[in-house]
Amino acid sequence: MHPFSYTHVSDTRAAIAAGRRGGRYIAGGTTLVDLMRETVERPERLVDISGLPLDEVTVTERGGLRIGALVTMAEAAAHPKVRSLYPAISQALELSASAQLRNMATIGGNIMQRTRCTYFRDVTAACNKREPGSGCAARDGFNRTHAILGTSDHCVATHPSDVAVAFAALEARVHLLGADGERRVPFAEFLLRPARSPHREQALRKGELVAAVEIPALPRPLRSGYLKVRDRQSYEFALTSAAVALHVRGGVIREAKVAAGGVGTVPWKLPAVEQHLVGERPTDALWAAAAQKAADGARPLAHNAFKVELLKRTVERQLRTVGGNQ
Amino acid sequence: MSPQPQAAVGAPLSRVDGRLKVTGQARYAAEHDVDGTVHAVIVDAAIGRGRITSIDTREALAHPGVLRVIHHENAPKLPYRENTASNNPPGRRLRVFQDDEVLFHGQPVAVVIATTLEAAQHGAGLVKVGYDAEQPSTDLHRAEPDKPTTYARGDAEAALRTADVRLDLEYRLARNHHNAMEPHATVARWDGNKLTVWDKTQWVVGTQTELSAVFGLPLDSVRVISPFVGGAFGSGLRCWPHTVVAALAAREAKRPVKLVLSRRQQYFGTGYRPSYEYRLRLGSDRRGRLRAMAHEMDAETSSYETFTETVMPAGQMLYSTPNVSQAYRTVPLDVNTPLWMRGPGFATASFVIESALDELAAKLGIDPIELRRRNEPSEDESSGLPFSTRRLRECCTVGAREFGWHRRSARPRSRREGNWLIGMGMAVGVYETQRNQAQARVRLDADGTALVQAAASDMGPGTYTSQTQVAADALGLTMRTVTFRLGDSLFPPTPPHGGSQTMASVGSAVLDGCNRVRRQAITLAVEDRESPLYGVDAADIVVRGGRLHTKDSPARGETYRRLLARNNRTHLEALGSYAGAAGPRRHSFYAYNATFAEVAVDADLGLVRVRRMLGVYDAGRIISPKLAESQAIGGIVGGIGTALLEHTVTDHRDGRIVNANLADYLVPVNADVPEVKAIYLDGEDREADPLGVKGLGEVVHVGVAPAIANAVFNATGRRIRQLPITAEALL
Repeated sequence: MHPFSYTHVSDTRAAIAAGRRGGRYIAGGTTLVDLMRETVERPERLVDISGLPLDEVTVTERGGLRIGALVTMAEAAAHPKVRSLYPAISQALELSASAQLRNMATIGGNIMQRTRCTYFRDVTAACNKREPGSGCAARDGFNRTHAILGTSDHCVATHPSDVAVAFAALEARVHLLGADGERRVPFAEFLLRPARSPHREQALRKGELVAAVEIPALPRPLRSGYLKVRDRQSYEFALTSAAVALHVRGGVIREAKVAAGGVGTVPWKLPAVEQHLVGERPTDALWAAAAQKAADGARPLAHNAFKVELLKRTVERQLRTVGGNQ
Repeated sequence: MSPQPQAAVGAPLSRVDGRLKVTGQARYAAEHDVDGTVHAVIVDAAIGRGRITSIDTREALAHPGVLRVIHHENAPKLPYRENTASNNPPGRRLRVFQDDEVLFHGQPVAVVIATTLEAAQHGAGLVKVGYDAEQPSTDLHRAEPDKPTTYARGDAEAALRTADVRLDLEYRLARNHHNAMEPHATVARWDGNKLTVWDKTQWVVGTQTELSAVFGLPLDSVRVISPFVGGAFGSGLRCWPHTVVAALAAREAKRPVKLVLSRRQQYFGTGYRPSYEYRLRLGSDRRGRLRAMAHEMDAETSSYETFTETVMPAGQMLYSTPNVSQAYRTVPLDVNTPLWMRGPGFATASFVIESALDELAAKLGIDPIELRRRNEPSEDESSGLPFSTRRLRECCTVGAREFGWHRRSARPRSRREGNWLIGMGMAVGVYETQRNQAQARVRLDADGTALVQAAASDMGPGTYTSQTQVAADALGLTMRTVTFRLGDSLFPPTPPHGGSQTMASVGSAVLDGCNRVRRQAITLAVEDRESPLYGVDAADIVVRGGRLHTKDSPARGETYRRLLARNNRTHLEALGSYAGAAGPRRHSFYAYNATFAEVAVDADLGLVRVRRMLGVYDAGRIISPKLAESQAIGGIVGGIGTALLEHTVTDHRDGRIVNANLADYLVPVNADVPEVKAIYLDGEDREADPLGVKGLGEVVHVGVAPAIANAVFNATGRRIRQLPITAEALL
């Protein structure tokens, strides 16, 4: 671990000021501390924001939800409004990490967490994300768990979060606090695809702080859920996952929100699947046909070609689970 | 056993060291506080093969707290005397900091010593090493094998040609790492020319011998202490380079040094179960009776040592087979040397043989248990010797009944629950009964308590408890009044704590020592005119609860305390010994099991979930039933890992291990472990050793992976011949 300084801040203005001077924010620390121990992250200044008043879940005026950045994963998962309005979010959270980690890790930290690519986490390997311009060891290395969507020649690492997949599906917005006040960024624009600069992962300005994630109100009734496919039954990142939310009225699908995890360099929204569903009547054949579009544009690597088929099956299964056997 | 009544042996007792462990008072290697200790962190080679061209330590040495950086340019030349006595495989063992050669990715190339752990860690990152890198060879499939070790009886090729039914099957087994909870760690201290080492080891004697050889010291100048081991599964059976590094660092720094391997460093700093490519051809008649088996096994080893394990015996003795051929080839690679891991050799062979037998059963439409019955040998066909005990059929019968085997449909894919296909499978396991020379010192004090000491080790099976049980009964004392101590090279020598030989070897020495002390006391009593037992035939006297009395009239007797006090004896003492499996072999000694698995497979998503497991064991006498059950659960959990999860991945481009951490190297978590049941058949093996035990720590692991693979076949109709069985194989 490289030497670093540590300050604890108690108001957001001080936090942002410290952030603008180059400080790195830390809350639960469940990812950052690990990465610092491995010297993947070498921040010189840590700014502990865990005392900031960003730890509430509130219902928005329109009936959506605003989840403060410092709400822990455990708290968010257990929150009655989250559970009743967006089961996909609580399920995604409960299928993440371990109980101990969920008690420490925050929602803001979760969407900011860095990839589990083993080459990224091994400082002796080439990695454009960790060391721009050094190359990507994963492209031609062992890449079973890597992305098939949104990749570039420079990076094939997946975004590891589960709940971010649910946020992407539900078209959440990220509230950011900066020196100029608060702004809201659509989730799809918040996390960046690697392209030529895989080290830039979020659309954050210098010193900007994630304040909250807002889930928009969606037409009711809304059924939603999250499916995570992984080798072992707990405490592992997803091989594939799917967050699905459906609004069915009069026997017709009026709204469909679908995103996939474990397969993309960012949580992967599936508009083609959504469009195939909207206006149709739910049937098993519809789920199957829609899911066929889930891996459109996939570029598999040497060890992760199975994810193309697995992704389609994951989406189909979750469409059927949420939408029902017809 | 002794003529003594058994009170402790066979009783389901809890661990005598349980309280120490759960209250944090049991001290593991890195927890030994030695005054003035400084910290050492190893710098690992960042190439897979080649030479070190430069080492720049200036920045590291300038970091506050860093005391020294030792590497091949400034390290003293170490004697590294030949030593074949510490489980060192044939070859030329890795010599730390003795030259510029890099033999594998992660090899120690320098060590940083600092006053704090943090300074040492940071300093290690500041050492700049230049390399002349070569392309390493790490791919078992592409490398050139050594000459084979062979075995043959009959003519397997000819018999295969004429067999009614033939199978030609190729299997691949991934490398597995032990991944015990406790990291390997060493604390080393020099007092003049005397070296004391607190180490994570399964064999203090082996580590002592190796350190004396490396540093050119008399054996009695080295003391190795290891009272508690937080799991090892075989990884502590050798003295690894880091232990030498710690001792060297302590000598150079002139301070005691603590060195703890990081989790990542365990993957190349210690051994592992080697990966295999294994081809098995078998031929049978139409009734499933085996005519021939031809085994071709390729296993990885390092470029500098030839590691072998007992992968051949199971194919020679498990089933009656007139024609057998085997060729076992090690394949030298630019990797660190493997080492035994739970059920070594046998677990690998059993996956192949038991998967193939299941395949034969399916092909012939014979029940897998019935197929095994038809191939039950009447003697060990590799030696012509009778089995000391072999109750494999009984294991199968009891297991089938307990598991509800009759509910299994022979036709795959015939049971479905929602998205899940349900299947049952079984396999048998076998492991050789090992025992070796051991000694134990027994001392009975005038206060009626006893102290028993043996070098030994307890990596988790409960050596402390089970040896106390043996001693308590043989001395006629209660568990509370006997203390068993282990893990110190000053204690009488014992063999490695591996291969399931501790109970047979150390236990027999403890039994002998306790019998001697008890007999001394009895002799003292019957020859003492003031003893109520004066003149009684010694053979008629037993001891219970610390009181000697005649078998027939318990009222006639006296306590050890009275006896010793009256005779002015402070204590009675004896050195117990056991000669091991000495003399000509008259029997074939093995422990057996039948293991059953029920799995659920989500065929669409490629997920396998184990739902139930049962093991039925023929392991001879069970000294400590509660610990034996715990061992079986551990062996089965390990088997679930091997079957479905565990896989050390090497990047062949540069030889690095890609998943050297517990997030990417998957071991089972609680959610992966279903209902597990263990049944030990009552009995003993009188031929094996004085205690009648056959060893159980290994055999409980053997057969688990094939039982699961066979259940996957029964569920899905898919035969997976590769471990671990992952989603991509089942999609």
